[in-house]
Amino acid sequence: MNRISPVKIWRHQKETAFFLRKEGKIISWTLVRTPPEGFEREAPYPVVLVELEKGKRRMGQLVDWQDKDLRVGRKVKAVYRRIKQPDPEGIIPYGIKFKPI
Amino acid sequence: MKIEVLGVGTTKFGELWEVSPRTLVKEAVSEALSDANLKLANIEALYVGNMLSGILGGQENLGALFAEELGLFVPAFKIEGACASGGLAVHNAINSILAGVYKTVLVVGVEKMTDYNPGEVVSALMGAGHDEERLAGMTFPGLYAMLARSYMEKYGTTERDLAVVAVKNHHHATLNSKAQFQFEVSVDQVLKSPLVADPLRLLDCSPISDGASAMILGSERQERSKTRKTVWITASSVATDSLGLVGRKDLTSLASAVEAARKAYKMAGVNPQDIDVAEVHDCFSIAEVIACEDLGFFPKGEAAGAIAKGKTTLGQGRLIINPSGGLKACGHPVGATGVKQIVEITTQLRGEEGLRQVKGAKIGLTHNVGGSGAVAVIHVLKNE
Repeated sequence: MNRISPVKIWRHQKETAFFLRKEGKIISWTLVRTPPEGFEREAPYPVVLVELEKGKRRMGQLVDWQDKDLRVGRKVKAVYRRIKQPDPEGIIPYGIKFKPI
Repeated sequence: MKIEVLGVGTTKFGELWEVSPRTLVKEAVSEALSDANLKLANIEALYVGNMLSGILGGQENLGALFAEELGLFVPAFKIEGACASGGLAVHNAINSILAGVYKTVLVVGVEKMTDYNPGEVVSALMGAGHDEERLAGMTFPGLYAMLARSYMEKYGTTERDLAVVAVKNHHHATLNSKAQFQFEVSVDQVLKSPLVADPLRLLDCSPISDGASAMILGSERQERSKTRKTVWITASSVATDSLGLVGRKDLTSLASAVEAARKAYKMAGVNPQDIDVAEVHDCFSIAEVIACEDLGFFPKGEAAGAIAKGKTTLGQGRLIINPSGGLKACGHPVGATGVKQIVEITTQLRGEEGLRQVKGAKIGLTHNVGGSGAVAVIHVLKNE
């Protein structure tokens, strides 16, 4: 299920480039303890909803975090990270995550 | 508008490993037919509400599949709108009658979820979300946890305040022989259950369930049943919003539900204060709190307190919410839920619910939500 499409990753490149290094604030967050398929190895992991400059919003996982970073208002920056486990053909999906700054 | 609910039926909800989707549908439909005192030959079209059959089981084309199973080769349609698939199937069936295309229509909602492991089901349910949410490894408990977080920050609501929703709905389900969980839980049990997506715990969440519900709808009939009250659907409305949470202005309300409710109240010519009984989409405890406010039952920020005071509990309140046990305790076979809600309100308005009867109920409402609020379906019913 949910095989990774290299074409789709390629199509997302422009969007990914737009978000990279953008800074913003956490407006809501959760800690996912029951993950979907492909994310088991990272769980539990925080997912944050971030408001960037000019009001644009983006959801992504938070990396390099400590408990004190899990709060509304925390400043974060968009970074490029592996999204989930590679599929059987060995394609490693990368995308946007956030880290505290 | 006036659409008559001619007959209703529902299977037990739960972990039904020995039963196939075909058998579930057959059982719910035969109950609805006998309740309506109609034969299959009277049915002119079939609408099926389902979300996960394709993604989990690889089986699509459900209109034809259930037409075959029932031996009912009429026009048949599958309607999908995540957890609102059932409500959307009813809405489409109603529209077909209002358009004058059919006079008597069968609606079925069905879901078979427990054949698969939780990881598969969690991933499949995320089909209702936004691609960006899937890439974040998000889950539905996680999305509602974000709504809960925002709501709690804004109104100072606590986990304990949210837990009362589960306690009330479990209590109602003890009176429903078709409910998945027919036992009580306490606030402390909810607060001690494991975290699924902080701040939501296992007992804040509706379960993974199997089940089917069915109803037969018709244009106004000449002959009336003299032995029981007739139940009418007087409003059916749908509204949509952004697929994912990133597109929402407000994380403490579902704009789709507010809009669908506004249209439904206008269509039915009623106010929130006129509603005696409602089945709302409590996929998570926070969802019932937000639903009660979106529907205008309580002012913003006050629903959890009102629920805690018993204002929506059977035998205590004036406006009873989720007498079936809701999604939380009756169970949530996603495609069936929106149909089951109307089945429950219909039997409530007929006065046939026995122990969980809302006394003197005349006007009822159902609130069915798909995704994290991407689509909402509201129906208003009344008896005569």
